[in-house]
Parts: sequence; C-alpha cells; structure tokens
Amino acid sequence: MPAHWTEETALKGRGHRSLGRRWRRVSTRWVIGRGPSRDGTGAVIGRWDPAAAARNPRKVSASCMGRRRRRVDRGAAVGALPEAIAALSRTLPAGPSPEIFRRAKFDRPEAAPALWQLLFRVLSPLSANGASASPAQEAQVRVVKSELHSQGYPRRALAQLPEDGSQGSRELLLALAWLLARGPLLERLLAQTRVRLGDEIPLCECEALARPGPPVPRVEADGPVDIRHLQWLMGKLRFRWRKLITSQQEQCALLGKIHSYTRGCHSDRSLGHLSVAETELLRDAEGGQQLLRRLESENVRLEAALRWRRQELVFWRWMDTVLGTCPPEASQPTFVPWIPERGAGEWELVARELQALREELRGAAEPRRAAWEARVGGWGPEWSAVQRASREAVGLELAALQRAWEQGGAAAQPHGPCRLVKSDAGASEGPGLRAAQVIEVLRSREACLEAVLCQLQRQCRQELARLAGALPGLIWILPPGR
Amino acid sequence: MLPADCSRRLVAELRDALDACAERQRQLERSLRVSRRLLRTWEPAETPAPQPTPAPETSGEAPSPESTPSSQDLKELELLTQALEKAVRVRKGISKTGERHKALSLKSGSAATSATTASAPSRPSGQASCRVSETKPPRGIQQTVVPARGLPECRLLSVGDRTRMGRGSRATKPGPGPRDQQIPPSAARQAPEAFTLKEKGILLRLPMAYRKAASRNSRLWAQLSSPQTSDSMDAAATAKTQFLQKMQMTSGGPGSGLSAAAVEAEVGLLRTACLLLRRRMEEVLSADPADCMQEYRCLLTLEGLQAITEQCLHRLQELRAAVVGQQLGPWPVGRRPGASLPCGGGTDPLWSPQLLLYSSTQELQTLEALRLRLAMLDQQIHLEKVLMAELLPLVGTQGPHWLALCRAVHSLLCEGGERFLTVLRDEPAD
Repeated sequence: MPAHWTEETALKGRGHRSLGRRWRRVSTRWVIGRGPSRDGTGAVIGRWDPAAAARNPRKVSASCMGRRRRRVDRGAAVGALPEAIAALSRTLPAGPSPEIFRRAKFDRPEAAPALWQLLFRVLSPLSANGASASPAQEAQVRVVKSELHSQGYPRRALAQLPEDGSQGSRELLLALAWLLARGPLLERLLAQTRVRLGDEIPLCECEALARPGPPVPRVEADGPVDIRHLQWLMGKLRFRWRKLITSQQEQCALLGKIHSYTRGCHSDRSLGHLSVAETELLRDAEGGQQLLRRLESENVRLEAALRWRRQELVFWRWMDTVLGTCPPEASQPTFVPWIPERGAGEWELVARELQALREELRGAAEPRRAAWEARVGGWGPEWSAVQRASREAVGLELAALQRAWEQGGAAAQPHGPCRLVKSDAGASEGPGLRAAQVIEVLRSREACLEAVLCQLQRQCRQELARLAGALPGLIWILPPGR
Repeated sequence: MLPADCSRRLVAELRDALDACAERQRQLERSLRVSRRLLRTWEPAETPAPQPTPAPETSGEAPSPESTPSSQDLKELELLTQALEKAVRVRKGISKTGERHKALSLKSGSAATSATTASAPSRPSGQASCRVSETKPPRGIQQTVVPARGLPECRLLSVGDRTRMGRGSRATKPGPGPRDQQIPPSAARQAPEAFTLKEKGILLRLPMAYRKAASRNSRLWAQLSSPQTSDSMDAAATAKTQFLQKMQMTSGGPGSGLSAAAVEAEVGLLRTACLLLRRRMEEVLSADPADCMQEYRCLLTLEGLQAITEQCLHRLQELRAAVVGQQLGPWPVGRRPGASLPCGGGTDPLWSPQLLLYSSTQELQTLEALRLRLAMLDQQIHLEKVLMAELLPLVGTQGPHWLALCRAVHSLLCEGGERFLTVLRDEPAD
C-alpha cells in the first residue's frame, strides 16, 4: 500500500474520502490548510483541487508524507471551518447549515432565501418574535436592505439585488460577516431573547425605546383638526399615565408579597426567594416545562457562542477569500439625495435649541465682557499671570464638560435591566445595587428633567406674553400658580 | 382650526405617545394577571395528577431516600391512608369535631408558633379535644414538614405523608389535631387541599432539572460576559478589522462614511450637549461672584460655553450636509424610525442582569414610581418641544379666533393642558 494512503485514511475521519482516482469525487470538499503545491511550503486557502492532486499524486504524497507530523494540524484545519460555522449558525436564530454558507461563497441561488431570512431575523428581531407569521419575501428583503443601509453598509451591490429573494447569496454572506465584525452581534441577539428568570426592572429606557412594540393600525387624521382635539388627546394621555402608575403600584405590592412568601425557597442563597417566573413554574407544570425547554435551548446557544469565540479566526480567514472572489464594484453610483422624514424633525429641534442657547450666552457674556474691560483696563501686568491661571482652570472645566457628553456619560448611571431581590435592610456588602442608591440617582435625574420642562414652559410663557402684548385692550389673567 | 399638515404631525405625535403608554399598560396588565393568580388559591386541577417529571430534591434529613415514590410506595401509601381513615372514623365517633376540610396549615419550623396561634382560631371545632395534644404535633410537624419538598399538591403531600408515616401513625392514635387526620384521606382520596402561597409558600422547592439548567445558564452568561484576553481573541479582532477595511476598500464606498444610525446617534449626543451646556450656564448666571477673580472666571466660562455651542452648531450643520449629500443610488428611501439611545449603550454592556436589592414594598413602589415619572417627563419634554415648534408660529400670525387659539396654546404649552387663563376685554368705562 503506498505510503500516502495512510494519510488519506487518517483524513477519512473528516469525511475526506480520497484514494487515487476517487479524489475526483471530492470536488465538493473545501479545505483550509496546506494544499498541494510544488514546494510544499505555500499555505493554500481555497478549494482542494483534486484535479491537480490527481495529476501529481506522487508530489502530493511526498508533501503529505513529509508532513506526517502535520497530519493532526491538517485534519484539524479541515474540520475547523465547518465546526466554526456550525457553532455560528447554532447561535444565530434561524441559522442555516454550513452547506448553505459554502454555497453562498460561490453565489449559488439556492442559498439565497435562507440567508435573506437569517438577515431578516438578525436585523429586526422584534418583528420576528411578535408577528405570528413572518412577512412575505419582498417585505423581508426590503427591511433587510433599509436596515443595512441605515447602519452604513458600504457595498452597493446589495441594494441592486432583486426583491424576490432569489439571488445574491454571496453578497448576503458578506453582509452577515460585516455585521458580525462590527460589534458584539451574537451577544446582543442572545441578550434580546434571553429567558427572564427573575423579576426585572429596567433602570434606563434604552430597551423600551429600542423596542417600540407592534405597530398599531391607525386611521390617519387627514383633515385639519381643532385645537380642542389636541387638548383632548393631552388629557387622555395624562389619564393613561395616572392609570399606569396606579397599576404599577399594585404590581409592586403583589411582587413584595410573593417575594416574602417564598423566602428561603431558592437554592441560590444570594437570591433567597423565588421570582414570579419561578413560582409560576411551580404552579403550572406545563408552563414550567416550556420554560425549562426554552432555558435549555438557550444554554445550547450560549455554548455554541462560546465555541464560536474560540474558533472564529478560521471563519475570518475564509471570509477574506470570499471577498476575494467578488468582482470589484463600480465606482460611479447615481446620486439621489435623501431627506429623512422623522430625522429631520429631531435635527430641527436640536438646531433650534442650540441657536437659542447661543443667543442667550451671547446676551449674557457680551455686557459682562464690556464691563470687565472697562474696569480692568488700567490694571497692571501682575494681573496677567492671575488671568492666565484662571483661563487654564476654566479651560479644564469646560473640557471635562465636553467629555461628559462625547463619551456618552453613561458610566456613572445605572444601566440595563436588574433582577429584583428582596432582602432585609442592612445588607450593605455583597454584589448588586441597593434600591436606596438607585432612588437617589433617579431623584436627581427627575429634578434635572423637571428643571428642563419648567424652563421650556417659561420660554413659552414669555413668548406668548410678547405676542399677546401686541394687542392692547385685553387683560390676561393667569391661572393660579402651583 | 389648525392647518392640515400641522394637525397631522401633531396628532401623529400625540398618538405615538398614547400608543407607547398603552403598550406599557398592556405589559403591566399581563404581569398583574400572573401575580394575582399566584396569590390566589392554586387550582389543583392545573397540576398534572401524580407524577410531574422533574424530580423534587430530597434533603439530607428526609427519611425517604428515593426522590420519586415507586408503585410499591404508592400502594403502601394507599394502605396507610385507609388505616388512617379508619382511625379518623373511630375518632369521629369519639370526639365531637365536625370534620371539615380545611386548608392545610402545615407549618415550617420557623413559623410554627405563630402559625399555631393563627390556625387555632381558624379551627373552632376540635379545639376542645386536641388542645392537650396541640403541643406535640407542632414539633412533630416541624420535623416532618421541613423535608417535605417538591411541588405542592400531590407531590408535597405524598412525600410529606411518607415522611410522616412513621410518626403520623403513632401520632394519630393518641389524638393529634384533626388537621393531621384530615391530611391523609384528603391527600390520597380526592383533590388535594387548596394551596395558597401565603400559607405554604415557604415549602416550595424548585425542581432539580430547573436548578441545574438555571445554574448552567448563569455560568454560561458569566463566561460570555467576561472580558476576553487570549491570543486567539486578539488575532480574531485584528482579522475582523482587516476584513472591515477590505470591505470598505473594495466597495465604491460612501464618501463620508456616515451611516444614518451614526448621524442619529451624534444628533442625540448634541442634544445632551445642549442640555449640559444650558445647565452650566444657569449655574454660572445664578452664582453671585464674590470678588473680581470669580467674576472673571464667570466671564470666561460664559465665553467658553459660547464657543462650544458654536462648535456644536457647526457639527450639526456638517451632519446635515453629509446626510443630504450622501450618494445613495438605488437604496430604498423609507426608513424604520428608530429612537436614539440616550444612554449611549454603555462601554461595557452587561449581558445578563445584575441584582437590585430592595428592603420593603414601599421602597420598591418609590423606585417604580420614579422610573415611570422619568419616562413621563421625557415624553412631556419631547411633546413640549414639538408643540412649541408647531403652535407658536400659528399664534404669531393673527387669524380668526385668535384669542381662543392663544388661550388654548397657552394652556397646552405653559400649563401642560391642565389649567386655563382668562382673558378679559378691557372695555372703556363709557
């Protein structure tokens, strides 16, 4: 038996059935690692070329023999990519099989629908959860395109793909890799669909804003409305908030009861009591089974995500080759200006505020500067040193202020959902936030927002007074103050 | 009447706000339903009768070593319950107790005394005969109830019964409280006694399968959230950045490289900037400078703030130009309206929740009320800005019913729609 046959049988475990002329059938296999090359030192990333291998079996066998030590490496390398991709697709919702990925590299049309669906699930998770049936193919395609565009996807070939979702698997593969490379996509997806075992309270409104809920079909008011309609809507809104707050207080009372009644029941000592979900699990065994199943499937996905982390390097090397197989893009797109409808409103508001602020600052600073100059005009040079020190100090303060918003400034504030745990007062050590501290932070934020609202209302009052003052012969009696 | 486009925009904004509120209310109603149901008596019919699959845990002190009673155990239990029933009948003949099916009042060790006093008034019957034996059963129950684990209803009672077998048979003869005697027949024969969280919540234990899955879950999340510092991770990170660069190079590429999401995020940052700048300005203006130096610093601060505001406005114009001038080609125009995240996402997002400890219901209620108030204030501020932008120009132009409009706008903008001012015509006295 030729020496190289032992090599091949070793690789057999990886499904690489290749002996002599049967190498031709292996044309569908793909390999990363050292392939057949003349001097045997080149690392080939790409298809195992059976034709070339068949042509010089002796050469290959020589390289194989010479790399008997590397048998393990190559064996590992051969399987590493499918494993990595399998881990990736298991972590993703609606993840397709590694075979789909492989076909996408060659832009095969049969791989396109699965990838469209995957991207749709990834880019708009809330509609996938909320909707009973996923929307039609065209709708999915449109959502994927617009979402990728808004995130800044650079390649234009995606926009030109047909809406029936029949083509473009390679482009979709590149889009998926782009999303993966830009940020912690998998972790974010897992966190969004996380099984909530505890009673959670979100401390900031990030999630509430990011998940606007299912769109309610509404009848648009086409014609002009009276201002009394607006007043009515405002009143309705006020009433709804009041009702919400009352319901929330009731829920808190119930939660407090449930937590204290199940004291000492949890196996985890740091938690101490059961949450609503866990108590519900005990009450309703069937629902409990469902929860358990969801928990276990989440565990599977988490393990796959950890496996992916260990193995993803291989995937990125492969994606380089996929990018290489793409034809270069045309560099002269057509020009269409885009005015965002909603975004313009936000921009307008901020611009207006900044302009108003600038005017106020100018009104405050200029007279002071004039007064100062008038006073200090004749003062001696010993002032200049003091002045310089003041300038530096103020400069530092303002720089710190600027950093506060440029870096998001979210570090100091509690962020994200928290699991509620009832514990007796006096537990000052141990992990977790204390409600008293959080209440302090929230109160200061409340004071801040109230100040903003008051200031806006004051502005309105001044403006209206100015406008009303133009009409003489009227007495304006303001409502009794708060 | 307001002009049509203005009406449309304002009505749309208010309806959005109403929908957001309604969505919160819906979620809250769902949670309320679940919580209320948990605090009521649990229906036994909802629990599948004999053998729920997750095996309850057994503590070290439980006399029963197996976790699931076998068929032989069930047979023994059946025999025992028959024997105990007979004892009950005998006892019935002796005592004058009216046999009433009562809610089980098993007590845990810690709450034994309070529960005995609580249950005593709730059982008017049988007190005369069993007062003597009252002291003994609690202790017996203490020791036997604590090992009674697992799901309530049959699970709890069957295991509890088995553990009590040794003692219960002895205890029933001399005459413990009727509640002991009521337990076995009710357990084996008909639907188990009602279970309320208030009385027996402490006895609940989570099934083993769930506990394993939950601990594995938290362990995996901890691993996922921990910072990665191995070599392979660094190599992967560099490979990712290289890939992104290659993608950017091989495509035609938008010139500014700004995406709509990035623009939106920056606009949000500038909004925060405006807020902070304004707050600092008000601090400076309200402060009373004590001496020259402080006056000078106030002046410098105001001028510095002015310069920063100019920078922000400039940046805003740049963003606008980038958005409008961006080469878009055949991209679809309509965009899903996303909200800018005020928190900025945080530098190190925690993927699994951290704990928040509260000590009393009042504290929790305060916390939640504050949270909702913040959300409401956010919404109010946004609506205020939108209304200002739309309505003030209308008041500026005098039209028919100007007075009524002015009054309504004043109430909406300055009083939150809650109060109205009065306008009097200043008629000359003649």
